[in-house]
Amino acid sequence: MEEQWIERYRKPTRILHWVYAACFLVLLATGLILFLPPLAALAQDSWTRIIHRVASVIIIIAPIVYLVFNWKSALKGLADAFDWGWDDIGWLIAAPRYYFLADEKAMPPQHHMNTGQKMWWLIVIVSGLVFTVTGIIMWAFKTTAPAAVLQWSVFAHDAVFVVTTSMLLLHVYLSVIHPLMRPLRTGAWSSMARGKVSVEYAKSHHGKWYEEVVGRKEAESEWEKVEVTTK
Amino acid sequence: MADKAILFDATRCTACRGCQAACKQWNENDEGEGEKTTNFGSYENPKDLSPKTWLKMEFRETERAGKVRWLFTRRACMHCTNAACVKVCPNGSLYHNELGFVAYNKDTCTGCGYCHDFCPFQVPRLARTSDLTTQGKMDKCVFCSSPGLDRIAAGLEPACVKTCPPDALEFGDRDKLVAEGRKRVTTLRTKGFGNAYLYGDKELGGLHVMYVLDDSPQAYGLIKDPQIPAAAIAWHDILKPVGWAAVGLTVVGLGLNYVIAREAKMTHDLPGKKEK
Repeated sequence: MEEQWIERYRKPTRILHWVYAACFLVLLATGLILFLPPLAALAQDSWTRIIHRVASVIIIIAPIVYLVFNWKSALKGLADAFDWGWDDIGWLIAAPRYYFLADEKAMPPQHHMNTGQKMWWLIVIVSGLVFTVTGIIMWAFKTTAPAAVLQWSVFAHDAVFVVTTSMLLLHVYLSVIHPLMRPLRTGAWSSMARGKVSVEYAKSHHGKWYEEVVGRKEAESEWEKVEVTTK
Repeated sequence: MADKAILFDATRCTACRGCQAACKQWNENDEGEGEKTTNFGSYENPKDLSPKTWLKMEFRETERAGKVRWLFTRRACMHCTNAACVKVCPNGSLYHNELGFVAYNKDTCTGCGYCHDFCPFQVPRLARTSDLTTQGKMDKCVFCSSPGLDRIAAGLEPACVKTCPPDALEFGDRDKLVAEGRKRVTTLRTKGFGNAYLYGDKELGGLHVMYVLDDSPQAYGLIKDPQIPAAAIAWHDILKPVGWAAVGLTVVGLGLNYVIAREAKMTHDLPGKKEK
């Protein structure tokens, strides 16, 4: 059967996602060394700290570049992270049945981002800011900042590290491992790898978004028809 | 082995700074370019501890009963029993050796500088080759126990103690020095120094550098009742275990979810397959 596709993430968004993901993994690995004394040898002579800093520069600049060149998508995305409503309660109520019992009927139709995705997206934004601010303090103001500021910066940096690492595991799991996310070819993985999902997936996982997209397309074609007819 | 310690008797110190010089020489911190200093209105010199100055004498002018007093404080690593630096050092480069000192493995130091940020006495100093890459190593007094320069293992006293002309510095078993210090403080009190105090007896679980003072610790520029910073405790004793638990529970939870959800999905799918 010929599969029908629908665009979910444009190329700049996908590039940002993968650049951010790659940098985050590098930062995670080089930061994790501080929690694993047996790996001390790797941190010797500051090499992992230098890699950590190179990745941190990229991970800070990448979203800024995206913001400048894709400001429309960026603002829409940011607005999404703070757009919470009663629909989200519906997701929260349905989530246990949906994710544990694989009961797809329990889940009300979702927008472009469902509540879980919005939570993750919000965590990414907030943790990114905390990482950036505390990281800059520890990097650039090591000798000038008051001791207490440096101390609590270390604490905050590690607190968001714990939160984001746990949530990253959840994110990866729900995107590509959870049984309802199979097959990878048509769903979440495809959306970030190729930018598109099957119409089937869009209907079942993001019903409201699908209706919106179809509605918009119909409206466009209606408008075209009008254009044609008036000519 | 019994803990060793240094006892500094401020009432005997003449501020000759022989200890400073001996410290630099023995630990080879006098090599290469010396410390650049400027006159800041005191005989005290250099102005602060640095990666190359592990020990320095501080001079203070105070007044007591209408008389000017010149107080001398030895400033170097205190070798705390409850050491914040040991707690926050990410890879055990700072550790307590069998004599109770805070020893240091410079080879494995990552240059992160947490010891510098968390030390209540601001003793560890970072030598960074560049502020941008932040590559570097920490340095501080290691009780003359650097590999190859280990006086203690050779049965000698630390260089600062060895050189001290008025015997203001003494090296020995900590227990004995505590008893000796208390005795001297009692004597000072009977002689009218009501604020006399043995600093390091109880501070931070007991310091391995103790001070016989004829005045309050504050008069000598020492922190009254120093503590491990709250952030160090919040970070290491709370956040780290919680963090491991959070990540561990997440992995276990996801594994469980996978098993349950896969089972559920298969039972959902079965009737659907029959229909086809």
